[in-house]
Amino acid sequence: MPKKVAAVAGGLTYFSKARKDKTQEELVAEAARMALFENDINLAKDDIDGTIVSYFSDHFEDQLLFGSIIQDYLGFNPKPSVRIEGGGATGGLAVRDAYAHVASGLLDVAMVIGFEKMSEVNTAKGNEFIALASDTDWDFPIGGFYSGYYALMARRHMEEFGTTEEQMAMVAVKNRNNAQHNKFAQTNPNMNPFAMKDGGKITVDDVLKSPYVSYPLKRLDICLMSDGAAVLILASEEKAKKITDTPVWITGTGAGTDAMRAGDRPRTVGGVPMLPHEKKEWYRKLEYPGVHSFRAGRESARQAYKMANITNPLKQLDVIELHDAYTSSEIQTYEDLGLTKYGQGGKLVEEGVTAIDGDLPVNPSGGLIGAMHAVGGTGVMQAVEMLWQLQGVSGKFHGSDKTQVKNAERGLIHSHAGTGTYVTATIMER
Amino acid sequence: MTEVYSIDPLIIKTPYEITYKHSYGKTSKFFTSLSSGKLMTTRCEHCKVTFLPPRADCPNCLRETKWVEISGKGTIHTVTTLYFSGERFLKDLPFQLVYVDLEGVNTLFLTRLKTKDMKKVKVGMKIRMRISKELEWRSSDVWAEPDE
Ligand SMILES: [Zn+2]
Repeated sequence: MPKKVAAVAGGLTYFSKARKDKTQEELVAEAARMALFENDINLAKDDIDGTIVSYFSDHFEDQLLFGSIIQDYLGFNPKPSVRIEGGGATGGLAVRDAYAHVASGLLDVAMVIGFEKMSEVNTAKGNEFIALASDTDWDFPIGGFYSGYYALMARRHMEEFGTTEEQMAMVAVKNRNNAQHNKFAQTNPNMNPFAMKDGGKITVDDVLKSPYVSYPLKRLDICLMSDGAAVLILASEEKAKKITDTPVWITGTGAGTDAMRAGDRPRTVGGVPMLPHEKKEWYRKLEYPGVHSFRAGRESARQAYKMANITNPLKQLDVIELHDAYTSSEIQTYEDLGLTKYGQGGKLVEEGVTAIDGDLPVNPSGGLIGAMHAVGGTGVMQAVEMLWQLQGVSGKFHGSDKTQVKNAERGLIHSHAGTGTYVTATIMER
Repeated sequence: MTEVYSIDPLIIKTPYEITYKHSYGKTSKFFTSLSSGKLMTTRCEHCKVTFLPPRADCPNCLRETKWVEISGKGTIHTVTTLYFSGERFLKDLPFQLVYVDLEGVNTLFLTRLKTKDMKKVKVGMKIRMRISKELEWRSSDVWAEPDE
């Protein structure tokens, strides 16, 4: 039997397009200091038994084995450490790996350290590095660019289900405007000293009028590129109860995969893997997953729900932080997670269900569109955000009570790589 | 001489260049067949599945696949027009990418669509694959053009 595992503390840096003021390891120290000293815990740095280090690309800083530099900089030698990498899902995979380390008894107290510093190359080169995480024999040489890949998928989702650009814009507005109450967020110039100057609130009209990057995706439909770090501390049940009065338990975790080249994925009629609340006849004619849905996301949710005994996610979850790399992929992910039927994701945002004051708020932090996407840090940031939500302390950390979901008891974090090649879903409960 | 970008904090510029000698292995035949004007790909006779891009080994049964010629005719499954890209392709902007559903192929193939009238392009439109006269030995040596 795996041991029970709890999240007990978290820390974030201010996120920014370019944190020129600090090195990558100095940014990590900023987040680690917050995790150790600003959470209400009885835990000394020496009580950490080992680290799980989460970063995506060696290219951004032209430095291999950065994990070793981090381990040394934070003074954890000679304790165990491992680097996890899985594209955009790096952070989610790292949290899951830390869970496995603690659940198995290998570590009693584990620190997950997520980071990326993407600003030391220009934006087009950064986009190229990200695109190297697509098939470089076949997909990259024709003009490979992730926004192009996602645009193709979004266009097919529109064709298949009637999803609209307005619905996508509503996701951008929700996440960007949530971020205006989160002091760490890159788009929040009023609270974050390192924020972009043209941040602030936006409207659906602003999104629709922003320039196309790859039809139907416009500049404001697309996530940020960030410098920054996130640190999470996990502990076994016995330790967690001594460390904090408000542990947040990890009660389920799942991971799914799919073909690197989205075109290689099946198009099986009626091939949707079912969640407990779904009916086979809903999808009898649907070709699945094709390029309109993320089978890896569905599979990760299926496993996590089974482990956490969730039979109706919309009712049983109180808050979600998901990987909104694009507004379209947030809509697609609603469906993969079973929050609504396949094809109805656009309506879910339109009806306000996922708004901060809706039945199931999604991305109260602002997500990747409003807050940050420092790739290896992102999935760890989600876990930190969920910890604070379920402890009821989001207001204290964010500098505004407006992001706190009232009485949240159970939440889901979702981390996603490639065009849906690796996806993790993890359930956290207070 | 190291180029200095800023003094406080101190930021220096470090260039980086590299050339890989990259093997296409058993899928080399796709590229070498293009010089005789043929579009070749692989098929698993056991699973009755044809893959494009080709795979030397079938992911379903792990048997070795066989080479077959395909017509290169098909339809657009989905399309986008790019106005921004990675650094290497900025010079080509704007351009169109499509997933095409090709005759006799079970997978969708990602390629460029080349057309004089990008506005006329829609999902379901008939296309045919074209082969470059000046081969660069990259997947960009083939592309789709409208065929209606
Ligand atoms: Zn086979």
